[in-house]
Amino acid sequence: MIPFDFEYYKPSSVHMAVELFQLLQNQGKKPVYYAGGTEIITWARTNSIQPGAVINLNSIPECSVMGIQKDKLVIGACVTLSALSEANPFPLLSQTAQGVADQTARNKITLGGNICGKIYYREAVLPLLLANSRMIIAGIHGIREVSIHQVFLQQLRLENGEFLVQTFTDQYYLSLPFVHYKKRQIGNVGYPLVTVAALKQDNQIHTAYSGVCSFPFRSIEIDQVLNSSSIPLAARIEQAISKLPGSIIHNTEGSAPYRKFVLKQTMADTIHILERR
Amino acid sequence: MIVARSLGNKEGVKIRQSIGKSIPRKETWEKVTGTTKYINDTSGEPGLLHAKIAISQHAHAKIKSIDSSDAMKIQGVKAIITGQNAPILTGSPLADRPPIAIDKVRYYGEPIALIVAEQEYIAEMAALQIKVEYELLPVVLSPSDALQKNAPLIHEHLAEYKRHEDVYPEPGTNIANRTKIRKGNMEEGWKNSDHTIEVEVTSPQSDHAAIEMRCCSAQVLPDGRVIIHSASQSPFVIRRAISQSFQIPLHKVIVHTPMVGGSFGGKSAIQMEFLAFLASRAVGGRAVNLVNSREVDMISSPVHIGLHAKIKLGCSLEGKMMAAEILHLYDGGAYSDRGAVMSRSGAVDCTGPYRIDNVHCDSLCMYTNKPYSTSFRGFGHPELTLAIERAMDLLATRVGMDPLEFRFFNAIGPGDTTPTQTLLDRSNLGDLPMCIAKLKTLIHWDELSLRETKGHLIKATGVCCFWKNSNTPTDAGAGAAILFNPDGSVNLLCGAVEIGQGTRTALTQLLAERLRMEERMINITMEVNTETDPYQWKTVASRSTFLVGNALLNAADDAIVQLKNIAAIVLQCSPEELDVGNGKVFIIDRPAVGIEIEKIAYGYKYPNGNTIGGQIIGRGSYAMRNLTLLDPETGEGNPGPEWTVGAQAVEVELNTREYTYKIIKAVTVIDAGKVINPQFARSQITGAMSMGLSFASREAFIFNDKGAILNPQFRTYKLIRYGEQPEYFVDFVETPHVEAPFGLRGIGEHGLIGMPAALANSLSIAAGVELNHLPLTPEMIWRTIYDSV
Repeated sequence: MIPFDFEYYKPSSVHMAVELFQLLQNQGKKPVYYAGGTEIITWARTNSIQPGAVINLNSIPECSVMGIQKDKLVIGACVTLSALSEANPFPLLSQTAQGVADQTARNKITLGGNICGKIYYREAVLPLLLANSRMIIAGIHGIREVSIHQVFLQQLRLENGEFLVQTFTDQYYLSLPFVHYKKRQIGNVGYPLVTVAALKQDNQIHTAYSGVCSFPFRSIEIDQVLNSSSIPLAARIEQAISKLPGSIIHNTEGSAPYRKFVLKQTMADTIHILERR
Repeated sequence: MIVARSLGNKEGVKIRQSIGKSIPRKETWEKVTGTTKYINDTSGEPGLLHAKIAISQHAHAKIKSIDSSDAMKIQGVKAIITGQNAPILTGSPLADRPPIAIDKVRYYGEPIALIVAEQEYIAEMAALQIKVEYELLPVVLSPSDALQKNAPLIHEHLAEYKRHEDVYPEPGTNIANRTKIRKGNMEEGWKNSDHTIEVEVTSPQSDHAAIEMRCCSAQVLPDGRVIIHSASQSPFVIRRAISQSFQIPLHKVIVHTPMVGGSFGGKSAIQMEFLAFLASRAVGGRAVNLVNSREVDMISSPVHIGLHAKIKLGCSLEGKMMAAEILHLYDGGAYSDRGAVMSRSGAVDCTGPYRIDNVHCDSLCMYTNKPYSTSFRGFGHPELTLAIERAMDLLATRVGMDPLEFRFFNAIGPGDTTPTQTLLDRSNLGDLPMCIAKLKTLIHWDELSLRETKGHLIKATGVCCFWKNSNTPTDAGAGAAILFNPDGSVNLLCGAVEIGQGTRTALTQLLAERLRMEERMINITMEVNTETDPYQWKTVASRSTFLVGNALLNAADDAIVQLKNIAAIVLQCSPEELDVGNGKVFIIDRPAVGIEIEKIAYGYKYPNGNTIGGQIIGRGSYAMRNLTLLDPETGEGNPGPEWTVGAQAVEVELNTREYTYKIIKAVTVIDAGKVINPQFARSQITGAMSMGLSFASREAFIFNDKGAILNPQFRTYKLIRYGEQPEYFVDFVETPHVEAPFGLRGIGEHGLIGMPAALANSLSIAAGVELNHLPLTPEMIWRTIYDSV
């Protein structure tokens, strides 16, 4: 039961959506964009958020596309994680998406929603970080295309009123050797203790992490250390961990020391598998 | 005048059998077509008002003031009720709980106000606008801390609380109940013990996690009748509790309970019903519905009890158990409710099903600043079994005996006495050695290596035994009525609640067996109505088929006498010459001669119109026999009619790199007395095993240091999921309990009881460290190994 009143809109174009946002914001209604709704409904039920208006993006055609356009994989922000895994255009992304929540929830959760959510795991972004994807972002001043590394720093840095429309990924990355590990407290469903996604490109391993710090990240320094094959693996991993971009989280899923233990194992497994491919 | 008819069957009446057949549930079609109506399915009715609970954000605090003026201003709000408006104390056996907090809050999630509004969301909106000024008090978050001399007191007026059953609170402390077991001579016991071990074992509070959230509606009619609809295991207790708490004549309180969507003990407590009644009373008696959100259901309504146990066991050189000293500190939470009785039950069966002549046990229900506890499948036994069975494994290792052999050697048997000094025989105990023997065969124990290593994977099997007595009140009882219809079918009326366990179908099988009638001729509704259905104590403690079963067999016998009496007149013979079966009353010596029940169900009409007799209505009742209260100093007494015993095993595969594990097999061999419906029995035991493994491996409320619960949602509160289940094996031993219908024993809870112990034992063997604390997450195993280095 959502204990407050809010307005609901379902615009059918990018332009209408951003205009609506501005209008509603000017009216003081604190609008939010809505894709799958799983987070919005959860936080609204517990009264942690009180948006006065909700703008559903699902009727915007650009947000629902999925396919190859000019050597690039285009995925609309409103494509659900289950649809993404089912179509499987980017196996690493499919696997990463498959690890989020459970099937019922993945039928609702969207790529854009997972990346832009408040819940800090945002696992679906990891493959896009590794594939140097480009983000198509709409705002009141039109549409901009920008490298993921410029806008995704811990979270997607959107300007006021902007939303993610699509992601573009170079086809080259789709078939690179990869691994994906998701380690949970227990069982096959739940938030990560550690999620690692990794790609091997030009004999170099690129890794990205969720569940370790309170944001997902890819770190050039960590990758450099992990690829220094002259150093023994255990030492590389110790060094990599000293270069984490934030403190290791401690929450109901697991303590920081245990996460560190799991992270080391998972890094070792990642390197072990990818070094041989 | 020829009235006797040939039944056209020279072989006579074939005697039907219903018991031992897996007939489908009576409610199957409703369920599979989605037409079953649960309580909240009627919440859309026009005119119905809705209530919501505002809950405390602190675990222990004085309420300095409550400001509900902003909430009251919201359009559609009809009434706001605080503890001051309802100055009563509820709870049984110890009345220690106000339905809405008065003066202070004792747990995070405790109701502080109740809002009634036109719509559910309006009530919820208003609940968020209740402003409370608190003065924080120090919190007590574990039963061991609660026992400390300088622990903050959670109940200052413990001495003044009314006591409904035998309960022994200790004013000036946080002890809500203490049960003592003093059996034999401890000095002697320790003197004869060549080996002793000591162990501390803990299990946390957790959720019942029924699919259906607790839900209740109440209405006060102009003539003063109170109508309650509740998803409950205890409709007749609701009637009594509402009557007593609000001084309403008992017969004016009418409780309806339709099909309940899972419960596991959690819906046996009376909680929501007080609130729904207060809500209706505050709005002039209008009908008010109250349903929990998942989060409120998890933390505000009562939870699964926790336990801190200290066990010391001793045995001789040969492995014969000599002495047990046990301290149970049950984590009852902020109010005692059934936690007090569970702590007693934890004393009664404290040794597990083993022969020990010298036993000293103190079993305490401790108050803590945590949600209060109520019955949970197993009623204190999964927790005590984890403790004693961890100790048994340690002692077996110390003696150097095979863990199953050690249990077999010490298994309790006829002629032995229990911790409460009840003398055992085959009927009241069943056959544990036979269960162990069957388990051994089933898991190929003799060929199994205790620990099998393959790379970084280690397979291990852990075992345990269990027993459970029902610990019912000494006067627990039930009634049953059998109404015959003119087509020869019958309507069975009884008060057992259908919570998914299949009781109401199983009861029709008992009746079909006794009346030698087809089950399809026996009608039973899935609703219980306290105004029209015979009494039943509560649907708990795996006792419904026993209590109602005995009542309905008496009712069936009563009906059979009536059928024979009228048939004797028609057939011109004496009733003793007659028997009933296959829809007929027939002459025993000449089975082909008889009369169809449909011809006499409403009386027999002669061809000339004269009629004799009238509707056949069988009535029967039953109450527990020969039970006694326990002696407060020694615990001596008879706590229940019988024990159900069994042996269980769990096989795991531990990954020693990550400490993750797979549960490969879970096995139960149980003495069921008599299996009524094999499919039901297996699914009850399998479901219970699944629940036990879920609880043991991952379920726990996580508290911060202020007592707030950090995981009140299924996003972060873990449950076992489909696909993670092991292979389940269930087998039965059948040693009849002579006082029970057809010899049956309770089996509804028992599959759960040993699962935590068997899992902990298997993982301890695999990991090579003692795992004595639930939940058994990989992190817990890692930490135990890491801490022990």
